[in-house]
Order: sequence, then structure tokens, then C-alpha cells
Amino acid sequence: MTNFCLEIKKASKSFPGVKALNNASFALKKGSIHALLGENGAGKSTLIKIITGVYRQDSGSLIINNSEIKLNSPSDASRAGISVVHQERNLIRRFSVGENLMLNNLPKNRFGLIDYEKVYLKSQKWLDMMNLDIDPKSIVSELTVAKMQLCEIAKALSLQSNILLLDEPTSSLSPKEADNLFLLLKKIVKEQGLSIVFVSHKLEEVFQICDEVTVLRDGENSCTSENILNLDRQKLVKLMIGRDEQIIKPPIKSKEHMNEILKLVNIETELGHRNINLALKKGEILGLYGLVGAGRTELAKCLIGAEKIVAGSIMLNQKVISIDSPKTALEKFNIGYISEDRKREGLILMHNVLDNAGITIWSQIRSYLSYLDDKLVNEKVDPFLKQLEVKTPSNFQIVSNLSGGNQQKISVAKWLAAGTDILIIDEPTVGIDIKTKSYLHELIINLANKGTSIILISSDMPEMISLSDRIIVMKNFQIKGEKENNHNYGSMSSSIMEYIHD
Amino acid sequence: MSFDINSLFKKDWFGLLIVVIVGSAVIAISRPAFISAFNLYVLMLSVSLMLVVAMSQMIIIAIGQMNLSVGAIGGLVAISFTGLMEVYSMPVGLALFIGLLIGLACGFLNGFITVKTGISAFIITLATLYIFKGMNLGITEAQPFYNIPESVKFFGNAKVIGPIPFLIIVPIIITVLMWFLMNRTQIGRYMLAYGNSVQSSELIGISSTKIVITAHVISGLLAAIAGMLVVCRLQLGTPNIGDSWLLPSFAAPVIGGAILAGGKVDVIATALGVIIVAIISQALVIYKIDPFFVQIFLGFMILFAVFINRYREYKEETRKKVFTHEK
Repeated sequence: MTNFCLEIKKASKSFPGVKALNNASFALKKGSIHALLGENGAGKSTLIKIITGVYRQDSGSLIINNSEIKLNSPSDASRAGISVVHQERNLIRRFSVGENLMLNNLPKNRFGLIDYEKVYLKSQKWLDMMNLDIDPKSIVSELTVAKMQLCEIAKALSLQSNILLLDEPTSSLSPKEADNLFLLLKKIVKEQGLSIVFVSHKLEEVFQICDEVTVLRDGENSCTSENILNLDRQKLVKLMIGRDEQIIKPPIKSKEHMNEILKLVNIETELGHRNINLALKKGEILGLYGLVGAGRTELAKCLIGAEKIVAGSIMLNQKVISIDSPKTALEKFNIGYISEDRKREGLILMHNVLDNAGITIWSQIRSYLSYLDDKLVNEKVDPFLKQLEVKTPSNFQIVSNLSGGNQQKISVAKWLAAGTDILIIDEPTVGIDIKTKSYLHELIINLANKGTSIILISSDMPEMISLSDRIIVMKNFQIKGEKENNHNYGSMSSSIMEYIHD
Repeated sequence: MSFDINSLFKKDWFGLLIVVIVGSAVIAISRPAFISAFNLYVLMLSVSLMLVVAMSQMIIIAIGQMNLSVGAIGGLVAISFTGLMEVYSMPVGLALFIGLLIGLACGFLNGFITVKTGISAFIITLATLYIFKGMNLGITEAQPFYNIPESVKFFGNAKVIGPIPFLIIVPIIITVLMWFLMNRTQIGRYMLAYGNSVQSSELIGISSTKIVITAHVISGLLAAIAGMLVVCRLQLGTPNIGDSWLLPSFAAPVIGGAILAGGKVDVIATALGVIIVAIISQALVIYKIDPFFVQIFLGFMILFAVFINRYREYKEETRKKVFTHEK
């Protein structure tokens, strides 16, 4: 007998083109709070999904309370005593808070009908326990995001499971709310013997409440169940991102003399950006770093006119311009955007390769009565598809049948074909294997050397540091700082972390 | 229970109730014939039938799907019910039972195929619509059944008291049961949760298979009941019963504030939606307005209802956006 309530031994999991987990292990002690850390793409979320029954591991074992178990679905996991607070909101928005809390176990009267008096009474107990001042009768969609998040945690507690998995539980909480939450979590762990898996990007939180730490890197353990007392911030950062070998160092070219092509002055947006000032030089790669939810993608969307800018001005080549739609951005100002969400925004999955890659130039080459000649499109697009080594049986293959890496190449190809002056590239290598990744990196550098100005949005620190000329760090829809990139991984990553964690 | 006038205004049905009351009053004052016993009787009959049809569609809207085969199921059950009585001289009770079984089976088929293939219910029920309708025409060879037992005829034409038709008892019971189903039972709440978010409800551990099949089975049963009510009313079983149900079946729930994406339906508001549609049709007859205006008017009514819904959602969303980034 061990005193572990949850163990994962040598789990591996592959997806087409990517090995997400490679013999990763994890062990949760009863009554402890255990941090699970790792960069984006390190395999953290795959591990979480194995614990919560969403994925099955290809090899390795999952042991709960000393017996090996197979979880085939999320409800299997909850029967096994694991409850989860996911990063994305999972409350039923049109239901009351009380009903949401009790949804798995709705109290009924003797006729089998739901007894709402009891629903509210029982849910009130959990809200009180969390010191939440929320009327259980209020409708979820009327709450603030922070309160929704706390309700989700209350709901997970109400299931009275013995393992609680919190995925970025504080991402929409104020520091004070987060502190209250931590006090409460510590109390519950102490009083009820609950064990918690805590996933967070905020290292200070880890030091604040966790007992042990497991770090994943490239799908493998870079540390397993290390006592928090043996670690400090520097060591932890190193465990998370300490890989230098992948950094391609581009020749540091002097771009001092280059002209500013795009300038944002005191931009405010409808989505909540305030005081955004930045300048982009010709042929420069400007990195936008930040955590998920920092407002980078949203800023890109405002820039291409997909969302509204409410104050400030955009200057293109020293002239004030206004961009009212992505169409204007592309056709009038030559600004393109490669979406992070290639499945939903970047590609039309049910269409073929040619249509996807050619869509940005249709308006340039359409002839009389808008007739589009496939051959002409192919002539324009094919060189780019070849250059990117897109592996497809033909250009008439449906995109959804291709691998993730190839899909990403196509969404890049379509913007290469468009030949924009400014290209915003959002998370270009998420979910892409190492080889394609470095290939895309070279491509981005080449593009910049040929004079395209690039805004690179990425949450992948090594990628950011190897590619960018300059890095701007965003947090909470504001710019926190800016740094000229010296391509020295150690110093750059720590100063970027400073901006984020201050 | 405290009484809060503001929460009353937030309810979907409250505004519709005002429309019904004020509308009826205005029509009754300008045209007293509107509240004649005969007119009220006709009004209630049309409400009776459409109420059941609307509920049959509403429960599918609740889970975020559509059932195009509502009318086809009703028609198939109607001719099966009459055919069994006429051709096989089956007692009414048994024919009724088999009619319900057919409705149940049709609904099960819709739900089962939808949930197992993951193809949209719109497509599946479009296909089954043709299948059910084809079976109907094959059985009847497009001829009506006329031999209806006296007890069925009596049920279709008797009055409870004054102008109130006997027939309306069934829809009233169904509406009450539906209210309890959607508001007070676990399965009903799970259907709405599923309609709100398939992903969330699966993570909670709600079984999609169970929810989708149950909803379609109930829809099939209600369509079957509606089909048999029409037989009682018409005193014959014609193969074209159910042909005209499809669009009104959507109109009433939508006027009642239902969101076609799922997760939001209101039983009382849907019932009021049926009543409003019936009153409009009647009023235009009483005012001697050309019948095509009924359709035009109905069209505007639906647009209006949808705009109001959209406006409410929009207001809520903009409010949320402000909350999200206030830091």
C-alpha cells in the first residue's frame, strides 16, 4: 500500500504527427496539493485529459487508490472520485447557480419531481463554504466571469470527490479572490483529506499553495514529485523551458535604419485593450508574447478590422488609416492574418487544397462576371504549396483529410500567395511536429528577410526568442513591456517572465 | 413566495399573455361576433390540435434539434388508427394503443439514428419524413378511411360545458405534463442542459444517447396523439393529415421565445404562441380580410418575436463583454 490516491506510470500518447506524452509519470499523495507544470505543448493538457477520462493512454497505467483502472469517459472519471474544473466554462448558462451546483444530484420530492427549495438550500451550503456572496437563484449568464469560475469550483466541491483537478483556476480572478480561494483550498485539504492537482502558469501561486511539483517538457518528466521546498523560481523556470538545442539563431541583422511601416498610437478597442502603442519596422519580426487570454489574438483581430477599435490611430507609412474589415485590410492595405485556430478560422476544412490556398487572391484574378479559372489559381498558388512541401495527393484533395502540419502549411501558403506587406502570424506551430516547426520557423525568417513585416503571436518561449527581433509582452489587454531580442535564451526568458509575473 | 413584478416582466410568457388579453379585448369590442359561442368553440378546437403539434416540435427544439417529420408521424398514425378500426374492426382502445406505439417507434428511430450517426436531426428527419409519408400513401393508396366508431366521433364533437370542446381536455393535460417535464423533472432539465451545451452536459455525465432518444420518443408520441385527435375531429382518416403542420409547429415555440439553437423553451409561452396564431387567423376571418394576409401577418409576427429575443440576448452579451475585462 502506498499513500498515493492517483498515479500515472509511464504513460505515452501519440497523435498523428506528434508524440504528446512519452513515458510521463505522475503521483499524487493523499491530502496534498500537487502542481502540474509545463509550457504550452509540453503534454500537460494531454495528461489532464487522461486523468479525466477524455483520452486513453496508448501505453502505461493509471492507478487510483492503489488499483489500476480504465477510464472510458468523463463520467467514469467522476465515478472514480475525480472532479475537474476545466479551463473553459462548463456551467449551463441559462440555469440558476443552485441548479448547476446540484445538477448531478438534483434533490427530488416523493413524486420524483425536482424540489427547488432543497436545491437552493443545499447549494447555499456550498456557496457559504466558499464564502461566495451569490444568490443560488441567480442565473449563471448574469454573473461575472470571476463568479462563474468560483461557482465551478463550488460545483466540483459539491461532488465530494476525493481528487480535485483545477486547470488554471485563477485565470479570471483578481489577486484578492485568488488568495481567498487558496485559503479555502488549504482548509478543505486539511479538513477533508482531499487531494488537489493544481495546474497554473502563475509560478507565485505554485509556491503559495503547492506541496509538490511535477514538470513536463516535450511530453516527458523534467521533474517528478519534487518537494516545493527544494525548488525556487529560477530552478522551476529552468525545468519548464530549459531547452536550448531547438533555438535557431537567425543572423542578427541591423534593422535600426529600417522605416517604420505600421504604428499604433494609444489604441483602445471594444474588446478592452487600453493604451496600446507599438511600431513595426519594415522586414522586422515583432514578437507578441503573453499567456492565454492576454489579449494578443484579440489585438490582431482589431488590427485587421474584424473587431472594433474605439480610440487611437493606426498609421501605415506615416499616414493615418482606418481599417473597417479584414477585406479592406487585405485588399487596400496588404495586411494579412494567419489564424491560430486553423480548424475554425484559418481553413475551410470541407474545401480542397486549391480553394483554401487560393482564396486570398480570388479577387485579384477573377475575370469577367467573377469567373474563376482553377488553372489560373493553380498557377499562382502551386509554387507556394511546392515551396512549403505540402504533402497532398493532389491540389484537389479535401483539406480535412490532411495532417495538422500540412493544414498549417496551407493556411500559411494562402497568405504567401497573397503577398502581403504585413503579416500577423498567430501561434503558427501549435500542435505541429518538430520538423515542420523548424521548417515554418525558417520560412518566417526568410519572409522577413525579403521585406515582409511580421507580427508573431506565440506562447512558445523558445520560438519567440529564436524568431523575433523585438518582443512585446502583453497581459490583461495591455502592453507590459518591450525588449530588443539578443537571442540569449536565459536572459530573455527571465526578463519576459518578469514582465508577466510582476 | 414573494411577488416580484420585475421578474414577471422578464418571463417570456408574460408579454404574450398581455398580447392575448388586450388583443382579444380589442377584437371582441369592435366585433362582438368574436366571442360568440360558435366562434370560441372553433377557436378552441384549432388551439387544441396545434397545441399538441407545437409541443411535439418544442421538445426537439429544447435539445437544439429539429423534427421535420412531426406531420408525417401524425399522418401515419392517423391512418393507422382509422385503418385498424375499419379494416380489422379493432376496438378503439387497442387501435389507440397501437397508434401510440407507432408514434413511439417513429420517434425512437429519429432519435436513435440522429444520436448514433451524429448527423443533424434536420437531415435525418427530412429522410424519415419521406419514409413515413410514403408508408402512409402506400397503406391508404391515397384514399381516406370513413368508417369511424361512434365513440370516436362523439369524443371529437362533444362539448364539456358551453362552447368548450371535449377534445381540449387532452391538450390541456399534455401541456400541464410538459410543463412539469421541462421544469420539474431531471430528464427534462437534462434535455435543456444538453440543448444549452452538448459538451458541458457530456462532461457533467449526462448521456447524449438517452437525452436525444427520449426527446424524439416524446415528440413522436405527441405527434401520434395530435394525429389521432384530428381523426376524432374530422371523423375520418385522410392521408393528408399532418401535411400542413410543419411551419406552425415552429411558429408557436419561436413566438414563445424558444431559441432554435437549443436550451431555451417555455411551455406556457409556447401555448400562448399557439393561442395568438389561432386568434390572428380568426380575427382576420371576422374582419373579412383576405386569407393571404393571415400568412403575411404571421410572418411579421415571427420576425417580431425573433427580433425581441435577439435584442435581449444582445443586451446580455454586451453587458458581459464589459464585465469580462473590467480590471
